[in-house]
Formats: sequence, structure tokens, C-alpha cells
Amino acid sequence: MNVIGSLYFYVCAAVAIAGAIATVTARNPIRGAVSLLVMVVSIAGLFLALSAEFLAAIQLIVYAGAIVVLFLFVIMILGESSSSVHDKKRIVSRTLAAALLGAVSLGAIVLVVGVSTPLQAPRIRAGFGGIDAIGRALFSDWVVPFELSSALLMVAVLGAVAIAKGDIKRPLESAATTPGSASEEQP
Amino acid sequence: MLLMFALSPFLVLGGGALLLMLAEVFSRRPSGLAIGTTIVFITSGAFSVALWLYGIEFLPVGILSPWILVDKFTLFFNVLLCLGGALASLLAGGYLVEYKLNRGEFYSILLFATFGGMMLASAGDFLTLFLGLETMSLGAYALTAFRRASPRSAEGALKYFLLGSFAAAIMLYGIALVYGATGSTDLARVGAAFSHGVVTSHPMALIGLVLIVIGLLFKVSAVPFHMWTPDAYEGAPTPATAYMAVVVKSAAFAMMLRVLLTSFGDAESMSWSAGWPPALAAIAVLTMTVANLIAGRQDSVKRMLAYSSIAHAGYLLVGVVVALRSKEQAAAGVIFYLATYTVSTIGAFGALILLGSYGKEAVSYDDLAGVGKRHPAIAMAFSLFLFSLAGVPPTAGFFGKWFIFRAAMDSGFYWLTILAFINSVIGAYYYLRVLVFMYMREPQPGAAIAVPMQSRHVKAALLLSAVFVLALGLAPTCTLDAAIAAATTFRM
Repeated sequence: MNVIGSLYFYVCAAVAIAGAIATVTARNPIRGAVSLLVMVVSIAGLFLALSAEFLAAIQLIVYAGAIVVLFLFVIMILGESSSSVHDKKRIVSRTLAAALLGAVSLGAIVLVVGVSTPLQAPRIRAGFGGIDAIGRALFSDWVVPFELSSALLMVAVLGAVAIAKGDIKRPLESAATTPGSASEEQP
Repeated sequence: MLLMFALSPFLVLGGGALLLMLAEVFSRRPSGLAIGTTIVFITSGAFSVALWLYGIEFLPVGILSPWILVDKFTLFFNVLLCLGGALASLLAGGYLVEYKLNRGEFYSILLFATFGGMMLASAGDFLTLFLGLETMSLGAYALTAFRRASPRSAEGALKYFLLGSFAAAIMLYGIALVYGATGSTDLARVGAAFSHGVVTSHPMALIGLVLIVIGLLFKVSAVPFHMWTPDAYEGAPTPATAYMAVVVKSAAFAMMLRVLLTSFGDAESMSWSAGWPPALAAIAVLTMTVANLIAGRQDSVKRMLAYSSIAHAGYLLVGVVVALRSKEQAAAGVIFYLATYTVSTIGAFGALILLGSYGKEAVSYDDLAGVGKRHPAIAMAFSLFLFSLAGVPPTAGFFGKWFIFRAAMDSGFYWLTILAFINSVIGAYYYLRVLVFMYMREPQPGAAIAVPMQSRHVKAALLLSAVFVLALGLAPTCTLDAAIAAATTFRM
């Protein structure tokens, strides 16, 4: 990799990490969502450096275009109450617990990666990761799981519709909630 | 054409679900949907039986492998899952109409979730396995949240959804680590890599194994990953509870058997000193004991049945541990137990449904007081299913337990067998407590009385389950032979 390439990688990686930290630490949820956007876009930049243009585009469309916008919508709908965080209880013990857990997981990863024999990266063919290659792979070698994933999408849509159509106003049988009070609440 | 035949159980289920969605839009009689769903389930099961009789060796399934493996193990589970789905949709046909929840999506979700369960049972690759797992779980989350006006339902569904998503993510992380170490997501190839000692060169494969097993244990609701179960089971509409207790659990155990015996079934991973069996044995003991002790203290029968389903997961895990000595015997025991457990559990939930009606639902033990005199037929059916769950001969549950305990004894796990036996005696206490309330107590004066609903659907489901419970208890040979044949898939 040449100098400009490394520079590009480091800039993208630094911006991604800064965005991730800002996402976690932001007090204002809107600011958090926008930091997430920054992180997502810089990761798309990293994908570009790996000449995975398709993945970069998908990253932008799905994460930046759809998910972050969804987050913003939710924050807007929930309104002011969600925007202020006053939870400072046991901040020290929580920080300590987080640090401990993080250190343990980091240690486990370092240990495992250190002991493992290095993986051999397979040689990548020309056009790998392009739209053409991905389309071919999806509809030839991977056609069975690709088709099966339609069942997953179907059940997700159905589930969302089923819950959304539910009537939330009708008083329901109370028996399900409190044992022994079978006929208190008649409609 | 033969390929279509090989896929027919899936095609029937998926096509049927889509057709029923259309039918719901145009139909004037929503109660017909339950019958339609049952017919789709039975057709799909019948195609699986036809494939079994036709002979799987004549099918051109090479193109599907390793995504979907059409073997006897798959076919047995297809039939079992379709049976559970059919009975659950009959229960729903009565329950949803009675409680004015009759929205057609319930049945389509039921079908698609079972489709996911069948994918799970037949998956020969971690990719399709995960797709099936998510398809089934998303359906189960939606079914739990179906009664939207009830806060219990929302609470249970949210807990189930959050914990389930985390468990799925943990499992996916494990799959990624195993893929990183072995370079494949194909279960058989992962197994080959493990038997060639991939763990020594890439220890992350071991961490992957642990994470995958944690994901599996969550799905079968073993202690300490059971926290979601009582709330989800109590909050869900009762047919959905029965469905989750039966179909979701069976599919999860199918996945567990397939993954543990194929991918992590090499000598070292299965050894008592360095493999997963001791951990699984400890979790089995913990699951049985904790669930049985808590189940005895419940006031709600529905919640008691939820804990009882956790306890049964413990017995089944004992069956899985036996794989250490004999993979085939372990798989056969677990498969047969799942068959007996399916019919008994659906029956018990069905009897609970039938005993209540809108505004007068039977939930607690007190609601059941004196039912034996007022409604002797339902009480008798309920007793039969409870005897089967407790493992009293000559019901199905007795042989289920018998084969698992005998397999454990044959493998030399005397202590595990004794602990499981003690636990099934503890379990009998809370099952028999229902009988005491039904036959020996009278309702408190002035207390609300649960009134049975009038539903031919639920009665038909009860009758069918009762026939199966007695048939499996009196003549288990036929099903047992099928279970043993299905278990030959894991012959080394």
C-alpha cells in the first residue's frame, strides 16, 4: 500500500473510532445519532479502500440512509423526555465494571489471536466484491439460503403487521394478569 | 421434479401460508382459517412421510446440500413440528375466536415460524441454520406480543425479544469465530476441522464453540438462560404458549443435536475431560432442579407449565449428554422424548384453554377447584396429559423418560440418572397438585368460577392429543423404530 493509501486508511479509521466514542458518550441523543452516522460513513470509506464498492454503497444506503434516519425519527417521536439523561447513580461502580469486562474481553481476544497460527488470507480474484460478482454468487452458489431468507423477511413483515393491527383500547380479560380474579373486569 | 418432491414439505408450508394470507382478505368466515392452517400442516407432514417411505437415497438432494439436508432426522422432525403446529392452530381456532383476537396473521405467522423450525432441523450449514433460527424466533416474538392490550403480553414479548436477539448475536459471534478458525460454515466440514485438532492451532474455535452452545442453550431455555421463559409463556396467548413450548423447543433441540453431534462431535470435543459434555451435564442438573423447585411454588397453572417445560429441557439435556458414549442412542432417546413431550404438552395447554372462556379464564389452581365434578370429561383429559408429563405409565411420557434414563444408565451415568429420577419425583408433586385441586377441592364460596368455552376446534385438538398420548404409551414400538432410524443419521 502506498503512502496515500495508508493515510486514507488511518484517516478513515480515526474518524470511525472518534464517531464511535462520540456515539457512546453523547448526552444528547440527536448528537449520538449523528455521530453514529459519521462512523458509518467512515466505515463505508474503509470498504472503498478494500475495493468493495458494492458493500460501501449498501453500507451508505442501509445504515446511513435507513437506520440512522429511523433512529432520528424515534428520538423525535419520543420527544424531550428521552433527550435528557440524569442517570448518575453508581457511576464509579458502573465504570469499573465496564472497564473490567472490557479488559477481560480484550485480554481473551489478544490471548486467542496471539496463540493462533496466523490465518492465510485467500487470494482474491479480480472483480471480487463488485455488483456483478455478488449477483452471480447470490443466484448460483448461494441460491438456497438467498431464497430461504425471503421467509425471514416475510415473517418479520407479518409479525410487525400482526402487532400493529392489535387493538390496544379494548379491555381484556383480567384473568390472564392476576390469578384468582377471574371475572372482575367485564367489558 | 424429484427436487420439488424433496422440497415439498417446505413448499407446501410456504405456499400454504401465502394462500391463507390471501384467503383471509377475501373470506367471510375467519374461523375457517384454523382448519385451513391445520390442513396445510397435515399436508406438509404427509409429504414428509411420503419422502420417508419413498426412500431418501433416491432423491437428487446433492444440489441442496449442505444448505438443506434431506435425511431421516430432518423428515422425523418435519412430521413432529407439523404435528405440533397443527394442534396449536386447532387450539388457536377456539381460543382466538373466544377472546376476540381472531386476526388471520396469527395463522400465517404460525406457518412461517414452523417453516423456520423445519429449516433449523434440516440445516447442514451455519448460514441456513441461523436463517431458520431467526425466522422461527421472529415468529415466536410476534406471537407472544399478539395480545397487544395486555401489559403482560407486551412485557413478556419485549423480554423475549431483547434476550433472544442478544442470544442470537452471541451465537452469530460464535459462528463467526468458528468460521474464522476453520474457514467453513458447513457443519460437516467444521466437524472435520475439529477432529483434525483445529482447537490447538486456533484456540478461538473453542471460544466459538462455547458461544454457539450458549446460544443453543438459550433457545431451549436451559437454566441459567431461562429468565425469559416464564414471562413470555405467561404473557403470550395460550395457543402461542403451547406452540413455543412444543415446536420452538423441538426445533431448537434438533438444531442442538445436529450441531453438537456433527460439528463438535469429534472424540476430543466430546470427551469428559476436555469437551462440552461435563458442562452440559451440569447445566442439565441445574435446569431440572431449579425449574422443578420453582414450579412447585407457582399459583398460576400456566406459569407452572412454563417451568415444567424448562424442567423437561433438563431431562432432554441429560439425553444429549449420553452422546458421549453413543451418539445414536442419545439422538434416538431425545427424538422420542420430544415426540411424547409434544403431544402431552399441547394437550395440557389445550385442557387449560378449554376450561376457561372470555372473562372467566382458568389460570390459577383455585380456578380449577371442583372442575372434576362439574366437567368430568375435560378433567379426565387434563389428568391424562399431566400423568404423561409426570411420566406415569401407561402414558407416552413414561416411555420418553424410560428411554432417556436407560440410555444414561447404559452409558454409565448413574449419578445423572439418579438426579433426573429424583427430579421427576419432585415434578410429580406439582402435576398431582392440579389433580388434587380438580377432584378434591371445592371452589371458595363467592369466588369466580371458570366456565369452559364451547369450541369444537379445541375439543378436536384435545381428542387427537389424547389418542397420541395413549398410543405412544401403549404401543411405542412404531414411533421408537422411526426415532432410531432417524438417529442413524449420526452414525459414525
